[in-house]
Amino acid sequence: MPSTPSDTRADNPPDTLGRGAPGVRISGLSVVYRTPAGELPAVRGIDLELPPGTITGVVGESGSGKSTLALSLLNAVQPPGRISAGSVEIDGLGDVVTLRGEELRRARGRHVGYVFQAAQNSLNPLKPVGKQLLDLGRSHGVADLRGLVREARDLLGRMGLDGARVLDSRQHELSGGMRQRVGIMFALVLNAHLVVLDEPTTALDMITQATILRIIREVHEERGLTTLVITHDLGVVAEVADRLAVMYGGRVVEQGPTRQVLGEPLHPYTRGLIQAIPRLVGDIGEARALPGRPPTLATIPAAGCVFRERCPLRTDVCVTQEPPEVAHGARLVACHAVEGGTGEDRAGAGNHGGQDGAGEPEGRAVTAGAREEQV
Amino acid sequence: MVLIGVRARPGAIAVARRLAGHLARGLAMILVVTSINFVIIRNIPGDPIAARYEKLVEQGMSPDQAERATAVLYGFLPRGSLWEQYVDYMGGLLTLDLGQSLSTPGAEVTGMLAAAATWTVIPVLAGTLLSFLLGVTMGVYAAIRRSGRLGDVLAISGSLLHGVPQYVLALLLGAIFTTLWPILPGSGTADIMIEPGLTAEYVGSLAEHATLPVLTYALASYGGWILAMKSSVVTVLGDDFILAAELRGLTRGIVFRYVARNAILPLFTILALSLGLLFGGAIFIERIFTYPGLGLLLLDSITGRDYALMGGAFLLITVAIVIANIVADMLYTVIDPRVRSGEESA
Repeated sequence: MPSTPSDTRADNPPDTLGRGAPGVRISGLSVVYRTPAGELPAVRGIDLELPPGTITGVVGESGSGKSTLALSLLNAVQPPGRISAGSVEIDGLGDVVTLRGEELRRARGRHVGYVFQAAQNSLNPLKPVGKQLLDLGRSHGVADLRGLVREARDLLGRMGLDGARVLDSRQHELSGGMRQRVGIMFALVLNAHLVVLDEPTTALDMITQATILRIIREVHEERGLTTLVITHDLGVVAEVADRLAVMYGGRVVEQGPTRQVLGEPLHPYTRGLIQAIPRLVGDIGEARALPGRPPTLATIPAAGCVFRERCPLRTDVCVTQEPPEVAHGARLVACHAVEGGTGEDRAGAGNHGGQDGAGEPEGRAVTAGAREEQV
Repeated sequence: MVLIGVRARPGAIAVARRLAGHLARGLAMILVVTSINFVIIRNIPGDPIAARYEKLVEQGMSPDQAERATAVLYGFLPRGSLWEQYVDYMGGLLTLDLGQSLSTPGAEVTGMLAAAATWTVIPVLAGTLLSFLLGVTMGVYAAIRRSGRLGDVLAISGSLLHGVPQYVLALLLGAIFTTLWPILPGSGTADIMIEPGLTAEYVGSLAEHATLPVLTYALASYGGWILAMKSSVVTVLGDDFILAAELRGLTRGIVFRYVARNAILPLFTILALSLGLLFGGAIFIERIFTYPGLGLLLLDSITGRDYALMGGAFLLITVAIVIANIVADMLYTVIDPRVRSGEESA
């Protein structure tokens, strides 16, 4: 069903949407996967807004539903999964959940750029990058293919690569960091203004990670993008994200401005995540792993709080009632233990003050911490 | 297109070196196999010359006469030691002289093989290519529709056909098309009443006679192709780059090409290898349809204890398989850039 008259015609490529960064409003989004045990939710009732021109980070452990959320932005949840409820409104595009067929295909790539994890092989191994770029151009009816190649070369050059050479290479001839930049180039070359990066720095060495993060920031600002970064690495979001959403068991448990969330975490899961990071300075023993394991698709509790099994603040109400997202200043937190108070009185601080330490780290301190895959 | 410059391929020398290595190893392999064949064949019980001699004696010749007649018939008397015969045989190979047939006195083995090869190579080649094309196409559909009924039907038919032995298939097809519904000839290469030549009538008769053997080859290997292609496509469909291509909004046609090209790659190796078996793998079919190819020739040579012919047929099979292996390997170097550059850096 045609929802928005978005002009994706080829001949007048950019600026058909009045361009500039689009805002994104995800509301009530649920994604279920069909399993032998019935349809199980991987993402449940997520409300998340990406304000135009911001970088939003989504953090969570493997299986928390963050990649599923990312794919939902392109209505690309892979079978046996499907979006069962909710909407993803993107400015200039409408609700992508209702897009189908050609309309959806044209939106992908041109309006929303998607960057895969570098370790994944996101390029056709048999074709040189340049030929795949031409495939992209033809798919989106770009008339000026030379211009497209020039644009790609410029983008690659700006990211510190020899554009001509890279376009002439195949995937196996590129390093992880180079592939990641090629992925970013592919996401941007059609002038998409909403970019989704799925684990952009995973499996890269520290120096390359830093380079990629700098590139993400720079490109984001230069091109005026709205960016969503999916990661399990708090250090990454601390570095690039303006806003942060923490996911657990398919739910967003806490979201808000990055500095606030990292500097003064309210949800016990966010606290646990931050405490689990080993610091460069200080005793290694201060890093405390979260006890227990995250739920899998089959073990996500149907009722009550998804985090309660591992939660130090657990009460009876957590078993029966799902905590609603409650505003605490600029933040939304879904936790019974934090609920009720104004949020500023540090609910639960007394309960586990022992391991809380005196000065909770600021966002910056997190950045300085060694980025372990530890969560 | 000027957009993307062409770099010189530094791999040419490496490829040539690789080929030379293959050839050297291939020759050594042929030598070893031929020697083993020689020893085995000479140790098969039953001596055709002694048998002929005894037959002549039985028919009333005196022993002396019989021995002379046998010697005249074959042009030699193998009285030398096994080692001398071996040296003689290998020496002959160098000049492509495979000796004289024992069961068909006076005929050169080389000539007999060449004549029979035509009747094997063309039908088997046709059958293999037919089943490859058909199997690969159907395999793609079976993979894409793997959760639907069409996919199930294709996959099950593939498994069934794959499981039926060639000779059962040949007998079934023979029974159907020559007896139940007699529309095709069941033996020979052409109607003997038709004058051989480049006439429409003769060629038509050739095609008609080749239909059943070709159909049998095709059906017998079709199941394997469909299953191999299906699993290959399913693997590629699960690859990240296919999802990435879809997320970039590439058209279905382009995504399909990405899938197909990547999926068919491993099948080329199987194809090259199966073409190597082309020279020896058709015994049952040729026997059932009395098609005078290499399989039938080999069979006759074994029952007739025709050492020379047996040796020649085995040699041909060996050479074909060795060459097919080399071709398969070199082909992969050419069509898969990853293998090619691996070679460069090695």
